[in-house]
Amino acid sequence: MLVCGIDVGSRNVSTTILLDGAILSNCVITSSEEGATIARKVVIEALAKTEFKFTDIECTVATGCGRNSVPFANRQSTEVVCQAKGAFHLFPDARIVINLGAESSRVMRLNSEGKVVAFTKNDKCAAGSGLFLETMSQLLAIPLESMGELSLKADGCEEVSSICAVFAESEVISHIHKGVPKQYILVGIHKAVTTKIMELLGLVGVNKDIILTGGVAKNQAIVHELEQKIGANVFVAPEPQIVGALGAALIAQETIQDRGMPSVKRL
Amino acid sequence: MLEEFENYRVAHHQEAKDWKSKTGGKVLGTLCCNVPEEIIHAAGMLPVRLLGEHEPTTEADLHLPTNLCPYCKSWFDQVLKGKYDYLDGMVIPNVCNIIKASYGFSKYLFKLSYVHFVDIPQSISPEGVEFFAKNIMDFKKSIEDFSGKPISDKALRHSIDVYNENRTLLDKMYTLRKKYPSVLSGSEAQSVVISSMLMPKEEHNRLLSRLIKDMEKSDKALEKRVSLFVSASILDDTDFFKLIEECGGNVVTDDMPMGSRYFYGLVDSKDEPLHALAERYLTKIACPRKMLPADRLAFSVSRMEGANINGTIIHSMRACDPHLYEYPLLRQEMEKQGLPVLFFRGEETATEREQQKSDIEAFIEMLQDQME
Amino acid sequence: MVQSTSAKKSLQTTLEVPVLRRKYYAQTLDDSQKGKKVAWCSNNIPSEILDAMDVTGVFLENYATVIASKRLGSGFCAAGEKVGFSQDVCGYARMLMGYVLAKNDAPEAPYGGLAKPDFLLVSANSCDSRLGWFSAMSSVLNTPLYVYDSPSQPDGASNSLVVAEHIETELRNLISFLEKQTGNKFNPDKVRRRMDISRQTSEIMYEISQLRKAVPSPMGSADMFTAVWPSMYLSGTKECEDFYKRLRAEMEERIARKIGIVPEERFRIMWSGIPFWYDMQLINYVENFGGVVALESFYRVRERRIPSQHDDPIKDMALTAVRQHGYPSGISGSIEDLLEAVEEYKINGVILSYNPSCRMLLISQTELQKALEDRGIPTLGLECDMADERTYSEGQVKTRMDAFVERLLAKNS
Repeated sequence: MLVCGIDVGSRNVSTTILLDGAILSNCVITSSEEGATIARKVVIEALAKTEFKFTDIECTVATGCGRNSVPFANRQSTEVVCQAKGAFHLFPDARIVINLGAESSRVMRLNSEGKVVAFTKNDKCAAGSGLFLETMSQLLAIPLESMGELSLKADGCEEVSSICAVFAESEVISHIHKGVPKQYILVGIHKAVTTKIMELLGLVGVNKDIILTGGVAKNQAIVHELEQKIGANVFVAPEPQIVGALGAALIAQETIQDRGMPSVKRL
Repeated sequence: MLEEFENYRVAHHQEAKDWKSKTGGKVLGTLCCNVPEEIIHAAGMLPVRLLGEHEPTTEADLHLPTNLCPYCKSWFDQVLKGKYDYLDGMVIPNVCNIIKASYGFSKYLFKLSYVHFVDIPQSISPEGVEFFAKNIMDFKKSIEDFSGKPISDKALRHSIDVYNENRTLLDKMYTLRKKYPSVLSGSEAQSVVISSMLMPKEEHNRLLSRLIKDMEKSDKALEKRVSLFVSASILDDTDFFKLIEECGGNVVTDDMPMGSRYFYGLVDSKDEPLHALAERYLTKIACPRKMLPADRLAFSVSRMEGANINGTIIHSMRACDPHLYEYPLLRQEMEKQGLPVLFFRGEETATEREQQKSDIEAFIEMLQDQME
Repeated sequence: MVQSTSAKKSLQTTLEVPVLRRKYYAQTLDDSQKGKKVAWCSNNIPSEILDAMDVTGVFLENYATVIASKRLGSGFCAAGEKVGFSQDVCGYARMLMGYVLAKNDAPEAPYGGLAKPDFLLVSANSCDSRLGWFSAMSSVLNTPLYVYDSPSQPDGASNSLVVAEHIETELRNLISFLEKQTGNKFNPDKVRRRMDISRQTSEIMYEISQLRKAVPSPMGSADMFTAVWPSMYLSGTKECEDFYKRLRAEMEERIARKIGIVPEERFRIMWSGIPFWYDMQLINYVENFGGVVALESFYRVRERRIPSQHDDPIKDMALTAVRQHGYPSGISGSIEDLLEAVEEYKINGVILSYNPSCRMLLISQTELQKALEDRGIPTLGLECDMADERTYSEGQVKTRMDAFVERLLAKNS
């Protein structure tokens, strides 16, 4: 049985293909192209590494903010449910899933069966999301990928106290002008972002067994700061950007099983 | 049948104007469910609730700062834009910092010959009722001066009966809907309640009695939907409930000022009228500006009796002081009842719809997933 | 490390206030230790009654400004937000909710923290946020709450006789609540004595308000925002009265010797709204340009207090309360009041603070600003919370102050 999950986010589009319940292939593309085109592209690319072709897919479930723009999807599912499902599949002990995407951050609490029992999302404010880190990366002229590593090496910190992304920006600019070492500012930025995440966690209830998903999870400084603040280990999904797509693919598989549809022939 | 309520709600400005030209009576704008409308009714006037619109405020921005309750700013904007030019006056109760201040603003900015302030005490006690009864007496005198005619005891008692009938009918509609949600959707019920705040009460009673008969006979098949309880500050139209319905949910009951809080509790028709009005309006209306959390939460929970609820959506207008303080306690209480909670801090603008939609979809999917 | 945020004061007498305040908070902790009942109160709870009932009052709005002035606001606010208090909610309330809810993640509380309350007292008619705040707090602390209903109605809307009667009833109810809670007997003579002192103090405060009209300014807001403290929290004590006598004397001397806040006073500013407690030095900023913030909107005593009318102090207190609530709360009254102050105090420009989390003051600011500009009085609107320093961008605020000062100087030259 070949099923597909697609996560059309505001920055990345990712897919996971499952073959009889096991991950066959993944693919992530960063693009600003229109959803329908890019969705097909990402699936084809994922399949290119395999012996299957597009028409072999029995069921596709789309998630992410662009989930309604995938014409070949059999059904849609929300990020909350897909992220949780994907994370629970990877970590069966997961109780809290923190998904840090480009535009939104959300926290889900799961029960022992992996079902979401509560979730919360960041306010309209941009501080605390991936886009904020991106803006900061441009401001400091430090590549997004190196921000975490540089910050971890810093031996000092310059606080960024504003809660508003716009204010934080002007605060960072004034730090730069004062000649504060960039890595100190980075530490401040990461602290500010994790403070926001902690607010969300507070609303859902902090627990053990916390899984981090989404692009921002690749930033080690964020992981480190979170662990410091929570006082417990935080587990990062091996490929944090595909967790939503994985969850969607798992739903696709359940959909077929529920319908009792026969698995298609193997090539 | 339902269209009659909905059409009236949508065309309420025109309807009020028509009523005026037909009867020659006066129309008074009111705010919140704390104004004893019976006084206005007994004077032969039509009370109408001021509503906002999902359009950007322009005129109000010249006079009011940004970070205010979007509902208040919106109705204010509507008045300044001339949409309420048929009003003969306004009655403003003391229900929150903003509405209270709007009394001074209304006198200062709107060209109205009559603006009256009804103070509401913050002590729900016999002494509070007595003080409030005196305020209602002042209100009655002021209406009499404005109309030039005294309000007879008989007229006031009659108005109390008409209003009590409306409350009884609305309550019956809610009871039926809680039991058989498919008979009347959340947005339909809301349309009925809001139209009650705009329409002459006798007319509303007549239509509502018919609707209830229809509901009792209805054989609509039970459609399986996620059933929700909505606890909200102000939702002045049906859009939010419709959005919930689009996402696969249905609101089966609520504790809102523009919902069940409006009609909960009868005025004791055997008591002296002003005292009876004070008693009902002060002690029965579960408004967080005067009622303490324990009683408020008990009211919210009691609104769910007889319904099979899967989850709660709490919606507070942004910058709505009375409701925002209560939210953490309310959330706790709902979770204690075993109900997952989704919270919104809302605006009056249509632009937030997409954001809300994605959250409601996730919430409903989560609830469905749990129900499986 | 906490940098100093307090304004530079010009008067010697004002410097006594921090000492008095520290002493007051130490006293409350001491009282609590000795078994005196402690009430956490909102403003507008009459301290004369607390004193007569032998109850120690701790005023939370004041403590919130103490926290804010030490720049600890954000730490406590965050703790309050974590349990769901929205950032829209009053900064003071969020901080104090944070204070009672915080475990080990909040900053260390100033003055060694607050004495634990035996009950809470709130009067919320002039600001309904207080009811939400205190009732939430009472639930969290599982401590009794008493709501003292003291109607404050917009100008022209009240039937003052009915209101005075109701306030009298409510005051008596407050007393019986306190009698039940403490087991103490109410002592009317004690209240009478304190009210007499309050009245005399109020007379001095009225004279101080008159003296502030002098040019150059004998006392600006940098001093007054601090100097007003005893009148709010030590009202009716000899200590308080003597303080204002000394303050008046110092002002009279400065006037006689023509000593101003700046060597050569070039312009006078009025501050409308709550200041930003975490950066009170902002008030001194205009002094660099020869300006002085000569007046603020709240603390001007506009009229003499009415003489005692009754033998019964509670009846008198109720009448005074109605009068005090008559303070302009409707927009047209506020505009008149502001224009009158500008005229009488020779004000050249007005800074209006827009405190987004204090709706009851915020709502008037746009219209007030408009009324001033319509009459050619330069204004500057600054939108920052009074307590939560995360809403503050020092650079932006100073840039706008510079432009405002330039405009004033150009107009006055």
